[in-house]
Order: sequence, then structure tokens, then C-alpha cells
Amino acid sequence: MLMTRTEIIEKLKDIIISADSRTAERADSVTEDTNIMQDLGFTSIGMLYIAIAIEEVFSIRFDNVGISDFVTVRNIVDYIEGKLQ
Amino acid sequence: MRIENADRFRRYTDAETFDKIVDYGTITAMWKHCAEEYSELTAIEFDGEKYSYKTLDDDAAALRSAIRGAGVQPLERVALIAANSYDFVRAYLAVVTAGCTAVVLPAHLDETAVFGCMMKFGAKALVYQPALEQKTAFAKQRIPQAAFIPADAKGESAVPVYEAAEADPCMIMFTGGTTGKSKGALLNHGAVMQGTVNGCYGYEQVFFHRMLLVLPLSHVFGLIRNLLAALYTGSTLFICKNNQDMFRDIAAFRPTMLVVVPALAEMALMLSKKFGRNMLGPDMKYIICGAAAVAPYLVGEYGKMGIALFPGYGLTESANLVSGNPECAERPDSVGLPYPNQELRIENGELLLRGRNMLDCYVGEDEQAWQDGWFHTGDLARFDDDGFLYITGRIKEVIVLDNGENISPAELEARFNALDFIQDSQVFEDVDEGGRHFLALEVVPRMTELASLGENPMKAIEDALWEVNSKQLPAERVSRIVIRDKDFERSPSMKILRYKKC
Repeated sequence: MLMTRTEIIEKLKDIIISADSRTAERADSVTEDTNIMQDLGFTSIGMLYIAIAIEEVFSIRFDNVGISDFVTVRNIVDYIEGKLQ
Repeated sequence: MRIENADRFRRYTDAETFDKIVDYGTITAMWKHCAEEYSELTAIEFDGEKYSYKTLDDDAAALRSAIRGAGVQPLERVALIAANSYDFVRAYLAVVTAGCTAVVLPAHLDETAVFGCMMKFGAKALVYQPALEQKTAFAKQRIPQAAFIPADAKGESAVPVYEAAEADPCMIMFTGGTTGKSKGALLNHGAVMQGTVNGCYGYEQVFFHRMLLVLPLSHVFGLIRNLLAALYTGSTLFICKNNQDMFRDIAAFRPTMLVVVPALAEMALMLSKKFGRNMLGPDMKYIICGAAAVAPYLVGEYGKMGIALFPGYGLTESANLVSGNPECAERPDSVGLPYPNQELRIENGELLLRGRNMLDCYVGEDEQAWQDGWFHTGDLARFDDDGFLYITGRIKEVIVLDNGENISPAELEARFNALDFIQDSQVFEDVDEGGRHFLALEVVPRMTELASLGENPMKAIEDALWEVNSKQLPAERVSRIVIRDKDFERSPSMKILRYKKC
């Protein structure tokens, strides 16, 4: 699947929004520097949702790595980008 | 209310199956029966391997022999540390069938905590998953007289299954700490057996399920309702090695029954809606949901998918199961009918319990589990006319208003949570600049339902909340409503951290 970095971020934002009950406006504040756990305050089950949704949406698989190993949105985007190449 | 037998549950299961729900008295007798009756069936699937009941029995027997070979006698305590795995299962069965009391340690404890627990509970030995060997180092150094036995150890001479009595201690489990600090609750064989059998009442298909395990086995909900109930019913238990792979495991294993906390049931529902397919697989029939309040919304949504989600109520101190709801579709806000051999009493609104499934005592604590022969749950409860139980709040959370009126926030929250587009809410007492105390409400909307609310969902939510509010008794009405843009702060066990503003 060919996808630009911007497209990956948009899809990731969509997952982050749907993972937790917050308003759509919050998506605008998500940048590559956003810290997933600290800035967005996800619970462990919220993080699990994100991991599973990423695998579904991008048709990739996290190999030997857990979603909580990623700190920022950039880290996740880098991983997805690497997987899609 | 005294419940002496399970007859109330008879109507939910066909007669032949119901009569097969037999109480063996103790976990040792139960396991002897299971190992014999289900010998060739698969008991556990883990990490790509399948283990039959016979293999599990043989492996547990080999480890039991090693435990006894290390000089540990029946009725002595043996600590157990293992992550969710086949090792946990064989270690647990080996310890218990050796006649020892299993002190079940959470796998995340560090080596000093492992040492501390062995000291506190007087453990003569520690059985550990080989992968967790580093957690034994400190205790090995400080308690050289104790035995340290890996879960794959094999003894030399055969040791028969110990014939435990119902009153013999079976295991010590850590409480969740919702009533204060975490404590070790001692459960005897009769209590654990009762807790296991209780899990079988109230639905049609009881035996030979395909069950998935995602809850920690160091918690009674995982250990009794998921593992022991699976073994008791001749089911196959698939142990997820990594919860991140849960849905891949489901796709491959196709479970028929799932035991989960509400947050996980909600997550699976959100994923199913997002991707337009049932993420729990085509064979899923039953979800057993508990350990926190279950939103009626979950019962309704899973019902539409053809899956019965049964809310229940239980505590570590009650060997997990006090009640379960066989009529979830008709009464989704009830935690159901009390299971047999219990007495339930409501005193000043609080639920008090006693019966066969209850703990003997807390171990190594000054705190007494029993007051005048009753266990005080700290939960506010009521029964309806048909004997169904409802949990309406925690006694510690009760708000006493200026006018002396007692308000249970959880009871009010349940009314707001009944709106499909409300995921969670919190009612609390606040104080304005003039020092006037008032009730306030904060809610977290359910994202997946917002689209159905038209162009201005926030306005629609607010209007609906004020509408619900207007129907409350005057003393119970809130004066301020806030719709949050993020979740509440939560404890590690996912419970909302309540505001203390007054």
C-alpha cells in the first residue's frame, strides 16, 4: 500500500480520535511531537485499541514490539512508514 | 435473603445439562474428575501448543512430586509467580493437588516484593515460571531454607492427589484494594469449588466451550471464572500470550465464550463498529462481564450482534461470584440472581454477605474480614421484587447534602449512563463562591454514537442530560453539567478517580 507521510498521519489521527471519547476539535492539536500516553492520557486499553486499529487500517503487524514502546506520534508514523515500504 | 440451592437457575438450562452441574466439594476432587472425564480433550492452548487434560494432569503430577520432594508438606503454603501461561496452570494445579495453599502472586511484582510476600505469608516454597527466575534472586538469598522450584521441574516418585477437605485452605488471593490497601484473602476449597460451580448457572450451553483468557490469572475473575470454570466444564482455554494479539488469536481460535472487564468489552465493540464486522468472531455466544459496573448499553449492543453479555457481581473475598444475570436482555442494569449457599442482607443500604463461597480471613492483617458474622462489602445494593440484585454505589462515595439527604452518586450516574451516547459520568459535590454546596455532573460522550446526534451533537447531549435531570427528585438534581473532551482520571484498575472538592 503506497501512502504519503501526511496520509499516514491523517489516518492515525482518525484512529486516535475514535479511540477515546473526546471531541473532533482535539484532532487538530495532534502533531508528530504529541506524546501518546502523556499528552493524550490514554489508558492501557485505549492503547490496545490504537494498536489493533493501526494493524487493521494499515494492514501491518507489530513484530516483537508493543504499542507502549512508542513514545510520540512520530515514532509510530516512522514504524508504519517503514512497514509500508 | 438465604439461597440454599440453584433451583432458581434451572429454567435457563435444559434439564440434562443442568443435572451435570455437580459440586465435587473440593478443587482436588474436581481436578481428579476432570482429568479422568476429559482426558483426551484439549485443556489449554498456549504459544502454539495444545495440552490435553491428560498431559496437564501428568505435568502437574510431575511438579507435585518435585514440590513434595523438596520437603513441602500438605497444608503448608507455596507461593506461585507466573505470567498467564501454561506454566501458571500446571503450577497452580500442582500446588493445590499437593494439598498446599497457593499464594498467587501477581506476575508484575519485583524481586523484593516477592521476598516480602513469601515472608508475610510464611511460604515454604516458591514455584516460578522459568522466564521469571530473576524475580526469585532476592528471596533465594534471604530465605535459604525455602525451596525454589521452576514450574517445569519433575520429581522422582509419584505423589497422589491430596484428598483435601472442604475447610482446608486452597489459596490466598490479593484483593483489588478498592476498600483500602491490597490484602491477602484466604479462600478454602469449598469456597473455590462453589465459586467455580457458580460460573455455570444461568445460560443454555454450559460445557465444552472454547474460552479465551485475557484477564490476569492472579485475579479471581481470571483464575476462578476463566481458568477453573473452563477446566470444570471440559472446555478448551486459549491463553493469549500478548493481549495486543487478542483479535488475531480470536480469528484463529474462534472462541465461544469470553470473560472480560467492561472496558475491554467496550473496546471490542468500538473496533467492531469501526471496521464493520464482529471482531469477536462468528462463534462467540457468551460474554461474562464483571469486576466493574457494566453499562446496559453494552448488553444491548452485543445483543444486536447475537451475543449474550451477562453482567455479574463478585469480590475476591467471595471467591469471585456472588450473582450473575441470566435475564440480561430484560434487566440489563441488574447484576442478577444470587448463587446458591449464600446469605445476603442489606443493612443501611449496604450489602452484607456470608456463605460457603466466602473467605476464611485476611492473612497477616489486623483488619477483620468479619463483623458479627457478616462480611461488609462496602457496596450499596437493592433487590427488585423478583429477587434480582442491583449495585447502586459505594458506601464511601455517599454524598451527604446540607439538608442531611444521602445521595449515592453511582445511582444517579447510572441514569445518565443509560443514554447510549454517554460513556461515563461522575456526579460530585461542588461548592460555589458563596460557599453554597451543590451537585455537579461531568460526562464523557461515547464517540461512536455522536454521528447519530445531528449537526450539533454537544447541544443534543446537553439537552438530553438536562431532560434526565429534570425527572430526578429535587434533592438529586444537579445544578451544573459539563461535557468533557477527555476521559476521567482513572486508577490502574480502570476505575474513575472520584473528585473530592468538598
